[in-house]
Amino acid sequence: MQKRKEFTLKTDILIIGNGSSGMWAAKRAKELAPELEVTIVDKGPTDWGGLMSMSEGDFDAVTPGKSLDEWMQDLVYYWDGLCDQKTMKTLFGLSYDRMCDYQNMGVSYLKDKNGNLRGVAQRGLEHICLYPTDMKGDGGESMAKALTKALEKAGIKRFGRIMIVQLMKNKNGQIEGAAGFDTISGDFYKIETKVVLIAAGRGGWKASYGNNTASGEWVDMALKAGAKVRNFEFVEVWNVPKLYAWEGQTILLPLGARYVNAAGEPFMSKYSPKYGANTDPHYITMAMAYETREGRGPIYFDLSQMTEESIKMVEPNAGWQLLNHQKLSDMGMNFFTSKTEWMPQLLTDFGGLDTDLYGQTTVSGLFAAGRSRSLDNGVYMGGFDLSTTSTTGYLAGEGMVRYIREKYQPTAAIAEERWNTAAQEIYQPLQQNGIHPKEVLRKIQELVFPYQVCILKTEESLQDALEKLTRLQQELLSRMTASDPHYLMKLYEVRGIFRVTELYLRASLLRRESRAGHFREDYPQRDDEQYLGWILLSEKDDHMEHEFRRVPIEEYEYEIKEYYSDQFCFPVLEQTVD
Amino acid sequence: MISSIDQEKCVGCGICARSCPLDTIRIDKEKKKAYIAYGDDCMTCYFCERLCPTGAIFVHPFKELLPAVFPVK
Repeated sequence: MQKRKEFTLKTDILIIGNGSSGMWAAKRAKELAPELEVTIVDKGPTDWGGLMSMSEGDFDAVTPGKSLDEWMQDLVYYWDGLCDQKTMKTLFGLSYDRMCDYQNMGVSYLKDKNGNLRGVAQRGLEHICLYPTDMKGDGGESMAKALTKALEKAGIKRFGRIMIVQLMKNKNGQIEGAAGFDTISGDFYKIETKVVLIAAGRGGWKASYGNNTASGEWVDMALKAGAKVRNFEFVEVWNVPKLYAWEGQTILLPLGARYVNAAGEPFMSKYSPKYGANTDPHYITMAMAYETREGRGPIYFDLSQMTEESIKMVEPNAGWQLLNHQKLSDMGMNFFTSKTEWMPQLLTDFGGLDTDLYGQTTVSGLFAAGRSRSLDNGVYMGGFDLSTTSTTGYLAGEGMVRYIREKYQPTAAIAEERWNTAAQEIYQPLQQNGIHPKEVLRKIQELVFPYQVCILKTEESLQDALEKLTRLQQELLSRMTASDPHYLMKLYEVRGIFRVTELYLRASLLRRESRAGHFREDYPQRDDEQYLGWILLSEKDDHMEHEFRRVPIEEYEYEIKEYYSDQFCFPVLEQTVD
Repeated sequence: MISSIDQEKCVGCGICARSCPLDTIRIDKEKKKAYIAYGDDCMTCYFCERLCPTGAIFVHPFKELLPAVFPVK
């Protein structure tokens, strides 16, 4: 192997992640403070645009004439009361401005014959709806390209294939740097900065469907720096075709698509007479698990109730989705006319960093935006992420500029021996003999994918998984090595996935109730008295600590009148233990 | 997942390697051709196939087989 080079970058703002939230934060910061140097690094390609480029392009926005109060009431109901109302009202309040920004950047949204924006209501809710871009298949890609162009014009520096592994703090406890490596050449990067934004998506389990880049290596790094995280008990278990990827069920369901069991019964109306299949994937995957456990699987997606006009509206006509559709059709698997088996699949964890409105974490100078900053709790309406990654990114841009102007205190440059120590630690796993990251990843997937660990959770199943994870840590994780820089990146991803899994299991054990996207089969009821609030986790002296923060409902504007989860009725587990 | 890169069609332009979000493809510097270096990291995004100027790349629509969610009978 050729000798490793070292590079030093100096910037005012370092953004980790070149996706939607990172790009919005960079754009906003540069608008407010053109004199500041803004740098984005991403472990993927420079111009990819992150996971937004794989998305449909749907955008939640409170458009003119719509009521922000009605959207908020829908949200409080949909999230079973576990809603940071002040933050969400601000974010929804900014949503239409960002949609207009996209339109000004050349992105166009679907309109009806009268030229009005065409909204699609979400999850059976009365008011919240998404607005699709008008090219089905490359909407997210068109948004990513528009943002990239804006960043180039603004003079924002962007570097691809760099993975950040360590954050550095000065004697005042403020962030002052970050260390990482080039995932292809292996070169070492020393980055001196006044502030760091983590905009690197969620942590996840690499279960395809465009989610394989979101692995959560930032979780480990942020915990070590002293940050707090929340909402880790909520995971994204998505309903997906068994064999291939398909984007867009959040639009298909309101337009008449449904799920049927092996006998052809549309089973969702049994579990929720009100919503049927036009509901959140969390409740659908729960029903899939019950149907399968009772011997009524496999589950199929049924589009027979959709009108021709609706199919025409959603049929891919561009981008990767068109290519995917064409290939499947050539193989005799036309998505709209064939019987397709679907299954639940654990994708990512909703957990993220605990921040204030502007994305400031509990560590001075460390900010978070987008899906690395947790807002939601395991139930997910289409268009939410493209909307909130833009608005949280936008606010983080403002927050970072204000932090630099008002709070940042300059200190001496980072001593060379600290960089040397960081380099030694980062490259230590780069060895030929040891356990391959993929082998460890597979073992983690095996213990967390079973439905009784990620969908119908119990004390026993979670404890069992946690014990297996602890053994895995002792037997495999510590022996994991990487044969080259590519696999060194994979190794840090798997370490992140391990940490995400641990946080998920521990938080799930702590919440002994069921609410929104968290279902405990042994505690199927909601318990507002004890659990209407957020579970926060942090690390101290290599131990996980937890605290509980109540939802300050008495300070909030919107009363919890009803709970979305009350619209569902699932079988009750026979109690075998007191 | 990525299935093949036709070595006769490949002109070694490097667009696929530069664009792959998962660093699945590399360029053989001696042969000046793209090759699948880390195939099992592919997430079937089709970027490489779509961007290839000579149609040399084929991505199969099926995704990676993962551990079971429901018990295997």
